Amino acid sequence: MISLFINDGVFNFQDVIGIIRYILVTIGYFFIFKKCGVRKIFAFVPVAREYNIALCADKEKEGRTYSVLNAIGYVITILMRIFGAYNKVVLFLSIPMLGILVANYIYMIKIYLGLCKIFNRRKLWLLGFGFFEALTVFIWGVSKSFVPSKIYEDHRKKDAAKTLGHDIEAIDEGLTVNITDRTVIDFFKKKTLLKDIHMTIPKGHMVLLLGGSGAGKTTYLNAVTGYEKANANIKLDQMDIYKEYSKMKYNIGFVPQQDLVRGNDTVLNTITDSALMRLPVEASVMERENRIARMLDQFGLESVKHNLVEKLSGGQRKRLSIAMEFISNPDLFILDEPDSGLDGVVARNLFVSLRDIADSGKIVVVITHTPDRVIDLFDDVIVLAKDANRTGRLAWYGPVKEAYEFFGKNSMEEILLTINQKDEGGEGRADEFVEKYADRIKEKVG
Amino acid sequence: MDDYQYKHRGRFAQTFIYLGKLFRMFLFQNDWKVLPMAAIIAGLVCFTVGANNFKTMEGTIMGTFALACICVWNGFFNSIQVICRERAILKREHRAGLHISAYIASHMIYQCVLCLLQVVISVFVCLFMKMSLPEQSLVTPWPLVDFGITMFLVTYAADMLALLVSALSRTTTTAMTVMPFLLIVQLLFSGGYFSVPEDAMFITNLTATKWGQTALCAQGDYNSLPMVSVWNSALKMSNLEVEGEKPLLETFRYIEENQLRDELLMKSGELNQKQEYNFDSEIVLTCWRWLVFWIVVYVALAIILLEFIDKDKR
Repeated sequence: MISLFINDGVFNFQDVIGIIRYILVTIGYFFIFKKCGVRKIFAFVPVAREYNIALCADKEKEGRTYSVLNAIGYVITILMRIFGAYNKVVLFLSIPMLGILVANYIYMIKIYLGLCKIFNRRKLWLLGFGFFEALTVFIWGVSKSFVPSKIYEDHRKKDAAKTLGHDIEAIDEGLTVNITDRTVIDFFKKKTLLKDIHMTIPKGHMVLLLGGSGAGKTTYLNAVTGYEKANANIKLDQMDIYKEYSKMKYNIGFVPQQDLVRGNDTVLNTITDSALMRLPVEASVMERENRIARMLDQFGLESVKHNLVEKLSGGQRKRLSIAMEFISNPDLFILDEPDSGLDGVVARNLFVSLRDIADSGKIVVVITHTPDRVIDLFDDVIVLAKDANRTGRLAWYGPVKEAYEFFGKNSMEEILLTINQKDEGGEGRADEFVEKYADRIKEKVG
Repeated sequence: MDDYQYKHRGRFAQTFIYLGKLFRMFLFQNDWKVLPMAAIIAGLVCFTVGANNFKTMEGTIMGTFALACICVWNGFFNSIQVICRERAILKREHRAGLHISAYIASHMIYQCVLCLLQVVISVFVCLFMKMSLPEQSLVTPWPLVDFGITMFLVTYAADMLALLVSALSRTTTTAMTVMPFLLIVQLLFSGGYFSVPEDAMFITNLTATKWGQTALCAQGDYNSLPMVSVWNSALKMSNLEVEGEKPLLETFRYIEENQLRDELLMKSGELNQKQEYNFDSEIVLTCWRWLVFWIVVYVALAIILLEFIDKDKR
């Protein structure tokens, strides 16, 4: 790709070949993009066209690297042209250029290999792409016998379920969530990760967060805790989490999925450091020691407090991870798959201790992939689902029993199957329930 | 709502919380192993290049380069993995209120102690192996302290560079892949041992080895030392016959008999002096300033990079 040289303002034979080559590739790409459902105009845009050919080949990830490599290659080429009179600069630039060319060639092969698969052609065509790229691309583009088996789908363009469209009123004691949307720019494309999520969670409730892969569960939690801000209005007891994040983050406990604890430190030291970091400066030594002792007792770590963390069992390590966050006695306590890697009995005990925390007047939100074994411990369930645009939407928030009636199912796993997309083995009814839920809320709040 | 009026520990207090953690890791995580490793490396260097260090010009160039290299090696190994191996933990702790500047400050203090210990061990090994060291001081009243400060600054600069790489890398594998490249740059572009093209000389300013070697050569009074390479090369040709005679051998005999060899070697050195290695405190201080400058740059970059740790993808 990076080979369009024009020397000294005068076209020589090599330049003419370069230009013809570039034109052939552009024409070829233009028609390949057309066949694959990618925007044809990108065939004329350097760097963007490398990314889009990767989309045609169903190699989006490789396409990112490929286009970045091309961009760097173009920059170095331009620099070499500018400093063409200085041999040493050109020589110096040729060192990274060589590396870029090799990497570029590898990615090109990966992408054309994907293209062969999508067009149901033999891998032998790689020789054509490798040695006569321009001609091969041109043939694949203009010849009607080359037809892709898969068309690139841009989910952003699809019609998705309607929205509630307005915020709900904040409650005095509890969590109020009004997320309009949460968007990110991902490789020059705007992606909406979450949209139109409104709810109030009273204190003392333990809530299950349910959703398939990519439905936006972690994005939702990050948005609610203020860690990754969304276009939203989040209030905990009438206090705006986003505006007061630096103060309020100590009142929000977040336990990540993995046991992110240093293995080569003792349990007591780990929990003491957490206390020092999370408890207010005003807390006396006695208060701190009492709190540490309470955590060790509450989470069953007293007998192993002098052990190294790496010597703990999976359940003990998980409890330590929870204790580290709960030491500041947060009002909002969020746990991302706390039962992963734990057997049934240990997991159940863990959820019972979370229920106790909720009963002490806290809000506990939990993600778990095995909800049915502990569903009796939860008050409410939040169901997030990917709509037709692959955006995370709220398909249900309310009591567990009502959720069964709403979806017409008998277990959480069945609900999950109903809302999951068809290509994920589900029934693909997410949009239906998102709309149904939005209508239900509209009826309630007016 | 009163809960939110409480203050939490700031950067200073957090630095000491993490410092305690790091010193515990020193014992539990076997970080102490870098200390005997420093002794072994110093011993090997003394054994191979120690004999002529600070005795002849050639031996000094080789010896000071080797000393700078062991400092860079020690520094790199101290911290190349320290951040990337716990990146996910750091992300969690940052979320819970940890200040990145406090985290880096604790590492700076901890690594400073580690580097000091390594330098003390290395100097002790050099003395034990009877390697000659600079005899005159330039900055402090004690030559050994001047020598130790240079060794420390080179080690610490390399350490902070490795810390930056560790902050930049997402995995230990990436960090360990980048390290050899940095090591090669440090060795090839030191500018003292390997000749670098004139146009690329500015790159040598980036390397800790250049400033380390320059300072050590200046401290060792490089320009007052004899040069032996010309003599040794000529000696190899002593049996060269010209019209049935051996004029070079005759000359060498004359020089030896009249005890002129040392004078000749000194003259040879005098003709090959390098201004940048003058026995001048300003040269040593300039080298130290450059090393401190790079330490500050590496630390600042590491902090800036880690401030974006929340952007790490899951």
